[in-house]
Amino acid sequence: MMEKTEMIGDKDISVERTGAEARKLNFKNELCGSCGICEKICPVDAIEVNPTGAMVRTEQESSKLEIDENKCVLCGMCSCICPYDALDLEIKGKTIKESDEYPHLLKSSEIDEDKCIYCKACETACPPGAITIARELPDRSKLVSGEIEIDKETCIKCGVCEEMCPAEAIELDYKFPTSDDPTIASNINIDKDKCVYCLVCKKACPVDAIKGVCRLCSYGDYDIKAEDAEIKGSSDINEEVCVNCGWCKDICPVEGIKVTKPFEGTVDINQESCQGCETCVMACPCNAISFPETEEMGGISEKIHIDEKYCIYCGACEKACPVDAIDVKRTKIHSTPVKSKSWEKAFESIKN
Amino acid sequence: MCFKYTSIYKHFYIIFDDNYIYIEYISVINTHGVHMPKHIISGLKYLAAVELRKKGRNQREIAAELDMDRSTVSHYLNGRNVSWNSIEIATVIRNTCPKDFLALTYALIKDKDKTRTIIKTCLDKKYDCKVKTSCIGCGICVDACMMNSIVLDDLKAQIDPYWCCGCLICGEMCPTNSIEIKEVKNDGENRDDR
Amino acid sequence: MTIGLVIYPELCHGCGNCVVACPINSLRSPEVAGGKGPTEDVDMVMMVDDGVIDLKNPNHCGKCGTCVESCPVNAIRLEQVEETE
Repeated sequence: MMEKTEMIGDKDISVERTGAEARKLNFKNELCGSCGICEKICPVDAIEVNPTGAMVRTEQESSKLEIDENKCVLCGMCSCICPYDALDLEIKGKTIKESDEYPHLLKSSEIDEDKCIYCKACETACPPGAITIARELPDRSKLVSGEIEIDKETCIKCGVCEEMCPAEAIELDYKFPTSDDPTIASNINIDKDKCVYCLVCKKACPVDAIKGVCRLCSYGDYDIKAEDAEIKGSSDINEEVCVNCGWCKDICPVEGIKVTKPFEGTVDINQESCQGCETCVMACPCNAISFPETEEMGGISEKIHIDEKYCIYCGACEKACPVDAIDVKRTKIHSTPVKSKSWEKAFESIKN
Repeated sequence: MCFKYTSIYKHFYIIFDDNYIYIEYISVINTHGVHMPKHIISGLKYLAAVELRKKGRNQREIAAELDMDRSTVSHYLNGRNVSWNSIEIATVIRNTCPKDFLALTYALIKDKDKTRTIIKTCLDKKYDCKVKTSCIGCGICVDACMMNSIVLDDLKAQIDPYWCCGCLICGEMCPTNSIEIKEVKNDGENRDDR
Repeated sequence: MTIGLVIYPELCHGCGNCVVACPINSLRSPEVAGGKGPTEDVDMVMMVDDGVIDLKNPNHCGKCGTCVESCPVNAIRLEQVEETE
């Protein structure tokens, strides 16, 4: 009739049930934030999250969580509530994340391509590295305008201009001086695609062999076409890896990113009991926690600071804190309608 | 598919799994016990044929329903080609509790659809099936129900009482104890089946 | 199996880094919080006795890994252990 199997590959886990309605729960260790929401919502206590601090700070052979396949009934609650998409239930080979019957967390991060200027700030700031910005810069030669020429008769091929050129546009063909040609270079060339007409070479030339003019300097940028200065590119957020923390939205200089966080809530830190051990800082998948700097020399600041701008109220810090100094409360879950009463109750239970 | 099952009854000691059936008949027929599964299947089909006849089906309809030759149905209904031992053992099997009746029939026939037909035909009891709101929609009962009487709807199990055979396997496997099945007596009164 | 604190006394130099790094120790003893060794072992997770690390109350361990990071010789670790309860 039915058979249940558990497979552990590397640190990923899958629990499978055969039968008329084949179900498979997949756990991806890499995506897991060790927040413990799955452990909390599981109706049959089949999930145990390994100590968060130990997992993020020390090398461990085990997965971030353990699933007891004898207890797991493959109901899919963990899969629907996981804010990091580390758990996924498949029914007949199809993920329930695409089924309307199951509730889903409403969470998303989107880059508005029309606004994006491809500055890469978000790519650098993104805690899990979910953003890729690919950009194509304009042709440099189209952004400058001028003329340059070397009087090869006058030129003594000393190489001063080559050494000074910031754009590496000048090249000499060096050679050994011989009795029939007692020079150190056979030729000198300026690559006009590289030259930016800064005229450093002209000023530096000891024999005044270079003549040049920069048209932009005297006349402004009238003859530069706007389309030639355009930066092309593409931006991408890897939905699976994204934690919807809001770093990208916050750092974007053109307000080009929209982020919907899965939960609303509050975080409180008991500054008295906090010992500054840094476990929460390392555990937070959203890089929302930091050691604050004091405002003035010798001043006393709070021991640890959580910036709720970047917090998604997952509770990984609370779970990691060895002295119970952090209290994360979820007050609202953004999700599609929960149709079943028991599921509604389960979703309520992870508010606290 | 795998079934391992041991059960002790007044008259029977039964052990069986997928490939093997052993029935020791203790008191009714002690010398020439029937060991051949095929004979017992014939007995079960006989019982089903008689039931269908009572419901007014003609021989052709019975043959189609039970996947038999028309001539065999005719023989059965006239009390030929099937030994009384087989019928007697089939009757004892039918009179066991619904779970054992189902399990034994399936072990003998090894075909889900045919088992469903026999069980549905031979069981005249009716059941009142309730699923509590605590159901989490894990689908274990859907897979467990041999009668295919359970479907999931909006993450909640729905049991079709027409197909429910009262085996209670679903309730036993339910992780949240959300299934309540009661036998409905003919006079309309409910009584707990357990 | 569960993850728990394990000490390797043969590796220990007795520096006491773990004792003062442990947030649970420092929460329970103002002396430890100040960076000094504890004078009483009552509530300490671990302590240096006769120059060697000793687990006093492993059950109090919050498994945060701070001590593991502070140890210069890898003499205290978080590892898979048999469950004690």
